[in-house]
Amino acid sequence: MRPGDPTPTSRNLNPLMHPFSRARERTRALNAVKMERMFAKPFVDSLEGHIDAVEVLCRRPGSLTAVASGSWDGGIILHNLSTRKPIAKIPQAHKGKASGLSFSPDGQRLLSCGVDRNVKLWAVGSDSTNTEVPFNVFPGKAAFNSIDHHRTEPLFATASNTVQIWDETKSAAISNLTFPTSTETITSVRFNMSESSVLASIGSDRTFTLYDIRTGKAERRVVMQMQSNALSWSPTFPTTILLASEDHNLYTFDIRHLEAPTQIYKAHVAAVMSCDWSPTGLEFVSGGWDRTVRIWQEGKGRAPEVYHTKRMQRVSSTIFTGDARFVLSGSDDGNVRIWKAKASDKLGVVTARERAAMEYRDSLKDRWRVDNEVDRVARTRHLPKSVHQTNKLKNTMLEARRVKDERRRKHTRAGENKPKPERKKLVIAEQV
Amino acid sequence: MDSLIARAGAIQPLNKKRRISHAASKSSSKAKKSSSNSDHTLNTVASHTSIPKSLQDSRSLPEDGSSYKHIANKKLRTQLNRQAAQGARAKALLEDAEMLLMDEAGGLEAEGEMDRTWRVGQSDILQSAGQEAAKGRREYKLDGGPYRSRYTRNGRHLAIAGRMGHVSTFDWQTGTVHAELQLQETCRDITFLQDHSYFAVAQRKYVFIYDRDGVELHCLKGHIEPTRLEFLPYHWLLASVGNPGYLKYQDTSTGQLLVEHRTKLGACTTMTQNLHNAVIHLGHQNGCVTLWTPNLPHPAVQLLAHVGPVVSVSVDPSQGGRYMATAGRDGTVKVWDCRNWKGAVRDWQVRGGGDPELDWSARGYLSVASSGTVNIYNPPSIHTPFHVRSPPPLYMTHPIPHRPLTSVRFAPFQDILTVGHSAGLSSVLVPGSGEPNFDSREADPFENKKARSEREVKALLDKIQPDMITLDPEMVGNLAPVSKLTTEVTTVNGKPRTDIPYARLPRIDRLRVSGKLDETEENGAGEDDGEDEESKKHTKEEREKRKMRGKGKSMKRYLRKQRKNVIDPAAVTIRAKLEKQKEEKKRTAAAAAGDTGEKKKLSALDRFKRSK
Repeated sequence: MRPGDPTPTSRNLNPLMHPFSRARERTRALNAVKMERMFAKPFVDSLEGHIDAVEVLCRRPGSLTAVASGSWDGGIILHNLSTRKPIAKIPQAHKGKASGLSFSPDGQRLLSCGVDRNVKLWAVGSDSTNTEVPFNVFPGKAAFNSIDHHRTEPLFATASNTVQIWDETKSAAISNLTFPTSTETITSVRFNMSESSVLASIGSDRTFTLYDIRTGKAERRVVMQMQSNALSWSPTFPTTILLASEDHNLYTFDIRHLEAPTQIYKAHVAAVMSCDWSPTGLEFVSGGWDRTVRIWQEGKGRAPEVYHTKRMQRVSSTIFTGDARFVLSGSDDGNVRIWKAKASDKLGVVTARERAAMEYRDSLKDRWRVDNEVDRVARTRHLPKSVHQTNKLKNTMLEARRVKDERRRKHTRAGENKPKPERKKLVIAEQV
Repeated sequence: MDSLIARAGAIQPLNKKRRISHAASKSSSKAKKSSSNSDHTLNTVASHTSIPKSLQDSRSLPEDGSSYKHIANKKLRTQLNRQAAQGARAKALLEDAEMLLMDEAGGLEAEGEMDRTWRVGQSDILQSAGQEAAKGRREYKLDGGPYRSRYTRNGRHLAIAGRMGHVSTFDWQTGTVHAELQLQETCRDITFLQDHSYFAVAQRKYVFIYDRDGVELHCLKGHIEPTRLEFLPYHWLLASVGNPGYLKYQDTSTGQLLVEHRTKLGACTTMTQNLHNAVIHLGHQNGCVTLWTPNLPHPAVQLLAHVGPVVSVSVDPSQGGRYMATAGRDGTVKVWDCRNWKGAVRDWQVRGGGDPELDWSARGYLSVASSGTVNIYNPPSIHTPFHVRSPPPLYMTHPIPHRPLTSVRFAPFQDILTVGHSAGLSSVLVPGSGEPNFDSREADPFENKKARSEREVKALLDKIQPDMITLDPEMVGNLAPVSKLTTEVTTVNGKPRTDIPYARLPRIDRLRVSGKLDETEENGAGEDDGEDEESKKHTKEEREKRKMRGKGKSMKRYLRKQRKNVIDPAAVTIRAKLEKQKEEKKRTAAAAAGDTGEKKKLSALDRFKRSK
């Protein structure tokens, strides 16, 4: 053996040579899961600049670093996430709140809408010099609540009291999409990502509506128990849509079967204000009135990852970054915060040995997840006192309601008052 | 909308699609083909996501036998199937890897019919052994009284302690002495801690811990007059037992005196550990052997092994700690099966007097040192049950003229047996006794400084909590046994009530669930008990009709007063008596009716009777 050679090792896999292998593996799993919690430092940075609450966030397509945020003071800031400095600032983009933001597919133009009844088109590409003056202004008749650009064509949709489709080159809306009986305000509108002519909107009349811009009609409408606050199309499953509801839950729907949600996501203790899918389509982020940001696994309706800080107020907008490694949240305190999507993720260069160790730890965690103590450590999250108390209260109320229902059922004729599955409770009516 | 999406050739979720194709495959293969063709997503993705053919495992999976067809949940079933397949593959690979073991165990073999292995002496073995192996034969001539010795787990270092206070640790292969101490007081035992960098000595009054260079680090005043020491390496526990008869566990990683068990069996001079479950075996003056774990205040097993004092205990590491050998002062050696304690598997009497000393090697060779000779027996015959009290066939024997022989220790990963006696120590070669292949992740005889320190850190991270020590080391990661207490109670409707937790059940139901309810009365006198649930169903008039029928009798009243949940011996006997009377009455009634042959005992010849 020469100096510098790796130490020769010898293995004997006879189980008698390895006493307590299971107990030791469990200890290792416990250590791994504790380490995960120890290194769970999800907060990366907070981006300042707005002087009022952040209302909307939007990532630039094709870029991992550029993100635009709009605020209640009417200002728009284009942030660079890697340098954590603003690329462009438009302090008075709108009078009043800047309520919607959307990039054009090439990422060179930014559309913004506001409650001042204007949609403005800004040139924010690398070659644009003057970002102070809008490239184009589209006057509307009512305050706008949301805007979304078409995936490929130079079209965009706005939400006010109706859903309107605009062409970038024309100054007036090219079509008006409304469900015949709808009179209420539309709060949000989003184009489907692969079926790009399909459009979804939610309104303050507790509805969720699907449109097709080829036929120019509202195709289907669902009335629910409570109003939804945000919606997001899944990037991988075009028929899946996610709704953030006022009733503290999130719902995924398969738009082919609108009579019941495919999954209910329960953890927020106040209204959910925003939601956004990860580009992988496997997880999504939501922000709520309860001052927390939660990251959910698709199809797993409980125990999400939860992020909070002392200074973060009610979260009005959340998005994933394009590489699915970070989550951004804009909140009432006027800051845009950057969080890691995986709380204990290590940033920076990871060596091969480190990577191997991480993978080993992950597999240990997965294998020993059924162990009580391992599971307890992995599950436990510290929550702010207010959230914790609210959660307790909420649980008490729900339990009381359940008990009352049960008693009522017990005292009615058998079979008359059947318990309704939770998923069937949500949709009141489906209209075609 | 549906038609719209369908026309645009939308991607559907894969699992949905699969279900369709699965259903189709049941009907016909043609349909299956067409359906798989139509699954664009699957077709486009499959070619990019599978492993190249050259890397795919072409061998079929070994038959494991475990099938999870009964599990309804598809996801879980798939996961379990995958796990089973992986387990089977790992098992196959494990068998494969045995080929790669470098060394083979040696051993003595008799050539002729009349030849015996025990006729081969040390000089013959030395001649035929290799030069390196022959280094193991040594004589340490020391005059510190009878010596005890202990090897580190990797077999590289040896610690010796003489009765008169001579303590030394050294690397016996290179001859490097780490520490040499003259403690000037009685030393009864010595043990290394996690590796050769620390050792503990049981001295006259307390246990002391020294570092490698022999600097006294700790005096463990909690351990009074210790006689024997054991170190549990995976739990980092130092166990000691002494003249006061207390078994004490000290956590050497935190320094905390974890627990002290009062054995209540007097001074104890015999202790050993089971390497596979970290249970401490103690041998006592009254002939008892007790097994201890830190979390039980009483012995996990107590066994009367000998009629006199137990002088030595050893556990077989080669069979996963299945066999235990004990030796008594009367000169008997017994081998026990630790799975059931129904008598010794084998026992025999050693020749000559003196306290036999026992040790079991890693490959199952048992050495018995008594009265000037060390006898070594080899594995299968030691624990094959034998009805005659005779020793198993001897494998080797070695005379040592310095009585008494106070300790025997096999060296790990070496074919060496070290015998401590009044004139020092002598190491003899026992071919085949040591495990030939070490695992450098567990114990490496060739490790360097850095590897040693890293191993220490790793071992500390992997330290097992002391309350996990049980008789069955496989307890970890198994499902908990099903509780005998279930909350399923039959209600009035005859349906099990699962909605009420045990704690909220009424007392009578709780008693019934836990099997403590005396149900005799319910059968006998339950019908006329108005409070019973069943009788609530009866109509009011019916209840009124039989309200006072036979209730006023003093005996019935007495019985009624004894509540159902109270087991009163008097009431029980009376109930039994009543039952008997009832039976008697019934029988006489039956006899009066005329059928008597019904219950007649069959005779042996009745089998030839023609059946009607």
